[in-house]
This record gives sequence, structure tokens and C-alpha cells, in this order.
Amino acid sequence: MDMRYFLSAMLLLSQPIGQAQTPPESYQERVYLARDRVLPALVHIQPVVEDFRTGEQKKLAIVGSGVIFHPDGYVVTNYHVAGKAKRIICTLSDREQLPADYIGGDPSTDIAVLKLRLDDYHGTIHVADLGDSDSVQVGQQVLAMGSPLSLARSVSAGVISTKDRYFSSDYRLPSGEKTGRYNLWIQTDAAINFGNSGGPLVDLDGRVIGINSRATFMANNLGFAIPINIVTEVTQEILADGQVTRSWIGVHAQALQELENHFGTDRNRGVLIASIDPGSPAAEAFLKAGDVILEIDSQPVSGRFVEELPAFYKNIARRPPGTRIGLKVLRGEEEYSFSLETRPLGQLQGDDFECARWGFTVRDITRQMQLTNQLRDSVGAYVTGVRRVGPADLGGLNSGDVVQAINREAVNNLPELIDRYNLLVDSAYDKVLLTVRRSGATRLVVLNLETTGTGQLND
Amino acid sequence: MTEKRSRRYLTVWMIAAGLIGSLAAETGAQSFDFEKLRQRVSEYSVCVKIQVEFSFGTQTNEHEERLLGTIVSDDGLVVFDGGFLVEESPFVPTGGFSFRSTPRRITVITLDEREYAAEYLGVDRFTGFAFARITGADGKFSPVRFVKVSEFKVGSWLACFALLPEFVAPPLAADIGMISSFVTAPESFPLTVGFNSMEFASVLFDERLNAVGLLGALNDPARRDGQPGDLMESYDQMEIPLLGVITAERLDPLIADPPRRGQTARSWLGITMQSLTSDIADFLGLESPGGIVVNEVIPGSPAQASGLTVGDVIYGINGQRVDVDREEELSLFQRQVTNMGVGTSVELAVIRPAGDGLDTLSLLAVLTAAPLAASDAEDFEYEPFEFTVRDLVFSDFIGFNVEQNSLHGVVVAELKPGGLVAISGLYPGDVIQRINDRNVNSVEEFAEKMATVEAQRPSEVVFFVWRFGQTMFVNVRTDWP
Repeated sequence: MDMRYFLSAMLLLSQPIGQAQTPPESYQERVYLARDRVLPALVHIQPVVEDFRTGEQKKLAIVGSGVIFHPDGYVVTNYHVAGKAKRIICTLSDREQLPADYIGGDPSTDIAVLKLRLDDYHGTIHVADLGDSDSVQVGQQVLAMGSPLSLARSVSAGVISTKDRYFSSDYRLPSGEKTGRYNLWIQTDAAINFGNSGGPLVDLDGRVIGINSRATFMANNLGFAIPINIVTEVTQEILADGQVTRSWIGVHAQALQELENHFGTDRNRGVLIASIDPGSPAAEAFLKAGDVILEIDSQPVSGRFVEELPAFYKNIARRPPGTRIGLKVLRGEEEYSFSLETRPLGQLQGDDFECARWGFTVRDITRQMQLTNQLRDSVGAYVTGVRRVGPADLGGLNSGDVVQAINREAVNNLPELIDRYNLLVDSAYDKVLLTVRRSGATRLVVLNLETTGTGQLND
Repeated sequence: MTEKRSRRYLTVWMIAAGLIGSLAAETGAQSFDFEKLRQRVSEYSVCVKIQVEFSFGTQTNEHEERLLGTIVSDDGLVVFDGGFLVEESPFVPTGGFSFRSTPRRITVITLDEREYAAEYLGVDRFTGFAFARITGADGKFSPVRFVKVSEFKVGSWLACFALLPEFVAPPLAADIGMISSFVTAPESFPLTVGFNSMEFASVLFDERLNAVGLLGALNDPARRDGQPGDLMESYDQMEIPLLGVITAERLDPLIADPPRRGQTARSWLGITMQSLTSDIADFLGLESPGGIVVNEVIPGSPAQASGLTVGDVIYGINGQRVDVDREEELSLFQRQVTNMGVGTSVELAVIRPAGDGLDTLSLLAVLTAAPLAASDAEDFEYEPFEFTVRDLVFSDFIGFNVEQNSLHGVVVAELKPGGLVAISGLYPGDVIQRINDRNVNSVEEFAEKMATVEAQRPSEVVFFVWRFGQTMFVNVRTDWP
């Protein structure tokens, strides 16, 4: 059966039940009820995050919001609030401050989980009820709660403007990861500002239906929340494993809507493959751009509209890595069967490191980084920033260079670079030769440490 | 770029005005016969009116400049300041976008108010001087004759004329300055003080009224911004080019064989490179600095055919030592190779690190034509779809961060905002690889295939497009006239 039809049928079925449960109070009374159910679980979060963008490790104090979803003190928030946090202070609704630990996060859905340190807390932990984001309706009244511009415990009201807003997954988090590939967004006109990030979007039954994550500037009342059903899947996996594991086959889809004539497909049938990652399972199985996937494991798939693409990506990603999947593919006028084994998607980005004495920051190259930055391979360490007027800057190192050797000895990955760096920093030396790759060329960069003082800068 | 340039003009103008003021008080030492000079200059000084179209992706602007020009040959070759005529370097990454300036109409007006049309030729990247040739003249012109000076002496006076605004008569105003320094590195160049950027490309005279050269600056065409004076800038934050004398030695070859946009005989080896500094020489275990470190060998280039590999050090060319030990000097080597000409055989003396030791090799390369800049690449405007495509060039691959020649297709150079391909989702910089599932490798093929497609007048045309590492399909819903 067509999935969209199925979903709308579910909505129709569930609606009378929902109405039956709704107490028949006035709007004002229902707002009070929702407030009383969720506000006690609201958390004001003040993380100190690490930032490597300027070529040095800097600390930034930021503000976000979160909500307690588990009696042991687990808080859900955005990855862009807490993902790079080294120190987190939370303020609960009773204005008590508690430290929290980072449990895990998922940049792809922009979700992170924290755990409050409850040892010295004598108050009561309130847990917010989570709703069902599949059954929300456009026009439904909602409340947004959080700390806009750091103003804690703020409530704003509005309606759901759209429940299936699509954003391209080219959008990047401040820390650089591409995000939004596996979810649609609930759009609301409830006021959302800086600092609301990670806070709950609440229905008038007092259930969390989304996590507010994005707002639009230069516009009024355009806020976007990650649907709570996606959030729940992600938080459960983080609680179990500390991370979210996804399968990868290396295909990028494109909505078929305008291309059905060209590919000769029937309406609502198939997902068009527009791009294939080199070296991916799809490439090795000889799938090609222009192929239309009709079925995955005998289940029909559809990607006529962009709004259907996140579900397609999730359909593949949700399988354990190493799963063998069968694809029925339309190529030209023929149908073919493909069988391929998924591989783990892996981390979007590697760990960061600051070569403080040398004046630059580097990141371990993961496969996804290699693909998004068009690197030939993942050998070396990726330069994320160069400190102004530091030895690397003066030597001509650029952001985006890949360090592949130090003093002509190969550096294959970040751990090797860190070893070499620590060894050289502790020894008497005044010059270092880096071999870097830049736009397909190899380049030599000399770090002259003599001219920039011999002090142990930030080490 | 032009903005930066005009900012420069302004600052330099202000500084120069102060300098001239202070100099004027004590100029007793110089003895120019300005009346005689004015007569002489009037013979070959002209006003060049040039209309230029600037385009960048979706933006196109028309612009008119009025500049001082000088007739340098009796058949009407004119040289003028071409700094604003951005001609991209073939070696600077484009990222797919190209900024192009297209001279549409040039009018040369002599001081006795004869008007001529002129054909635009091109800009010399090293000096920023532009060349145009007068067309349809009935007689011969009396050009300036440059005199070679054996030695420029610091402190000797020079004079030149600036072109005044249109509403002022007479149109020329004299100015004086002097040789302030004669620098020899990174290359030989007599510097001046007292002149300003408004006088760029005007003829410089010594006190015996010999034309000793043109006021100019030296560029490093391999640098990102490629602005006049890049090779020699004063060391302050304002990046003011150090003005000096572009001498007869430099000018004569340009006058004999003026640069022609898009069709030069520039030659190349096909490597990207850096200089062998003393630091790098130490690390490589070489006794002395000076040479070219090969960073990349372009597939299909003379370098590849010669057997040159990444990491090699070129220390000699045709038996002559390559003494390049600073990045600023790289352009000397580039110019040497550039000027040798397509088809020239060169013998390269090469040191190749091998294990712990060093091998010495002698390699033979036959130079081929240097790649074109994006703005000079073959292009094709496809009017029904309201856009222009061009061939892929060397600098695209650097900009795309992919290996040379690892992609095929044509680049979307310009498109009209709101035009047919723009609303279909195509962007400047996209590489069109297929039209309706058929490969395209060049602008020529693109034109042929579109003609075939157009004959069938289909309701849609599907392009397969490469956009920074990912591919996609773009459906153009046609609107045939």
C-alpha cells in the first residue's frame, strides 16, 4: 500500500481517540495544563564548547535549552548545543544549578543526550511526557519552551505551520557536520530565538512533540523542530550505545517529480539515484547515477517529492551495518536486481587536535569527510584552521590542506600526527617540514619555530 | 577587483599629492624643457575611451573608462593601463566561477581630436599594460620611440604627463618624480618616487627628453589577486604598488608581439611548483638553495612526457642555473618558460630524492601551449536557454579540488537570473556532463548536441550535472520560440 495513503489513514483513525482524551477545557486552561506538565522538566543549559576554527583551540560559552526525558536525569538537547561541550552547567526549573555529563550525540539529526549529576540535588526530577509526532496536525496549537537569548524558562505559543518541512542535508552545523539527512521538520510560528535550541515543542496535552532546533533570521516566527519520534529513536540508541550507528551504501537521491518523463517511471514509483559516492558499496555493485530504485528487499520505495527522501535514507541507514540488501532497479527500460552489503556510515568528522606550538588545528579524516571535501583518500590529517601569524601561517599552510608527512616521515592519520607532534615538541628543534596535499598537488611547508619564540605557547 | 584598484588610486593619489607638494618646493635641481616635451608628447599621446562589459556568473555590468594611451608603433598600436581589464590567470583556482571583462568598443582620440576605432588585443599579465590597435587609419602615426638606458641613477629626475578630466583643457598636465632606488631582486626594476597611480602607463622622460619607458608596476601573475604591483609592494598594509620604470627592454618585445587575449603563444611545462628555499634545501639534504620543487605533474603535459615526477628539484634549464630560492622569484622561472614558445625543447637538470640519497638526471621536455584562463576559454551562448557555457580549464580543476582532467563536460559560465536554466536549478560553476544521457566533452560538442536536440523541439531537456563532488539531474522545461 502507498505509504502516504497509509499515514493519512492512520491520522484519521487516531484523531477521534485523541479528541476523546482531550479534556474539554478552554484554550487558556489547556495552555496552563501543558505548561504545568512540561515546564518543570525544562532545562537551561550553559555548555562551554571547544572551537577549532581559528587555528587554535578556543573555548566558547554558549546557551541552549533541553528537557528531561528520563527519571535518572537524562536531558535531550541539540548536538549543536552540547556536542562539543567540555563542561556543562544546567539550571533546572527550580533555579537549582547542576553540572551535567555529555552522554552522546548524533550530528546527523542534531540530537545530544546529557545526564544531570544528581548526587547533590535534593529537589524532585520531573520528566516530560513524549508525544507522537506522526499524529500532529497543521494548525494544531503548540507551545515552545526554552531560553531565548538566554532568558530561561520562557514560554511562547503558536501553531504547527507545516509538519513535513524538508531541508537539504547540505546544511552544516557550526562544528561542520552536514545535518538533516534523515528527518523532516515541524515548522511552527511559536517564537524561537537563539538559545531556544534543544528546548521542547509541546502540544496542549503537555506532551513533547519536537525539539526546537532552528530559527530563521530576517524573518518572523519561522521556527523548526525535530519531530519527537525521530528524537526518541536517536536518544534510545544513544542511551544504549552512546552513539547512533547507521548503514551506508553511498547513494544520493533526487526527487523524481520533474524527471518522470525522462526516466520513464510511473508516478509514486521508485527513488532516483542522482549521485554515487566513489568507493561505496553502491559504486562497487555498479549502480549508476540515473538508476531508479523500485524496491528495497521487495518493499516498494517512492521518492517523487523531496519530502520523501529522508525516509528513503533512513530506510537504508536503520539497518545494521553488514546487512545484505536486495535492490530492484530500473535502468533504461530494463529492471535489474542488485545485492549489496551495507557498511557503517561512520563518524561524519574525526577528532580535532591543536598543534599549538606550530599554530594550526587538524582533524582526523573520516570517510564522510573525504567524500564531502573531495579528498583522494583518507591518508593524513585535515587542517581545519591556521592561527594568524603563527609558524604555520608564515610557512604558507592553508585551511583545507592535508598533512601527509612530517620531516618526510609519513603521517597516515591523526593519532600518528599527534605522536610525531608530541615527540618533536619535546625535542630540541627549530624547523619542521610538513608535506601537504592541496588541490591535487603536493606542497612542502617549513615551520620556522625559531622566529616565533621558543616558549611553550599553549602546551 | 576594480574596487580595490580604485581605492588604491585614491590612497596613492592623496599620498602622492603630498609628496609632490613637498618636492615642488625644492626642485631647483631639475631642468626639463616642458614646452618642448609637451609638443613631443602631443604627437603620440591619445585618449582611450573603452567600453567594457564585466560579468560574473549571473551579473553583467557595462562600464566606460577614459584613459591616457600612447601610440607605440606607426601602424597604430596603443598601450594603456589595463589593470581594470581583469584577465584571469590560468593558474589561479576558479571554483567554476569566472569574472570576465570583455572590451566591447574602443575609441582612440588624438589630442588634435581625430577619432579612430581600435581593436582590443590583450593585457600583458606581468605589467598590466593593455594593447589595442587602431583600425581604419588613413596614414601612418608617429609613435613614441623608447630609448634604452644603460644605467638608472638614483636621484635622477623623470617627467610624465597625466590625463586630466574631460571637461578640462588642455588635457595633459605635467608631473615630475625621480628614481628612488634601483632594485635587483626579485628582479631588476628602477623604482620611482613622486608619481602616482593615476599616471600609470604614461611615458617617462629623462632630462634629455628621452622616452625611457612607461610608468608601471610588476605583477606576479600566479598570485591569487593578480593586481598590479603584486610582485613589488610597499611594505605597509595598504598594499600600494611600488611604481617604477617599465623599461625599453621590457617594452620592445611586447610592442613587437603584443599579447593577444585567448590566443597567445605562451608555453608551459605543466607543473605546479614552489621555490627551493634554503630551509627546504636543508631538509632535502641539498647543499645549496635555488631551484624549482615540482609539486604536481599535470597529466598529458610536457613535464609528464619528460619523466619529471613530484618531489623532483629542477636546478638547471638549458645549461643555465635556476636560482629561485624565494617564492617571489617563481614568476621569473615561469616567465622564462612562458616566453620560450610552444615547441621549444628544453633540457632540465633535475635532482631526484631517492631513498637516503639523491639522483641527478637530465630530462628533455618539449614545451606545449599553456592552459587558457577561464575567461579566455572557448565559450558558447545558447540563447534559447539563456545561458553561456565554456570549456573546462586547468584552473577549474584546482578550484574544484580534483585532479587535473579528472572530469569531463562544460562549465556553466553565465546565466540570466530568472532565465530558463536559472529557474531549472542550474548554477554558475556547474559542470554539464550529459545532455539527455549523451556525454558532452567540449563546448563544440555541446553546440552540436544542442542543435540536434533543438531540431526535435522536445518539451524538456535533461542535463546531468556535476556540482562540487556530487552529481544531479536538471530538467529544463523548454520554451522554444
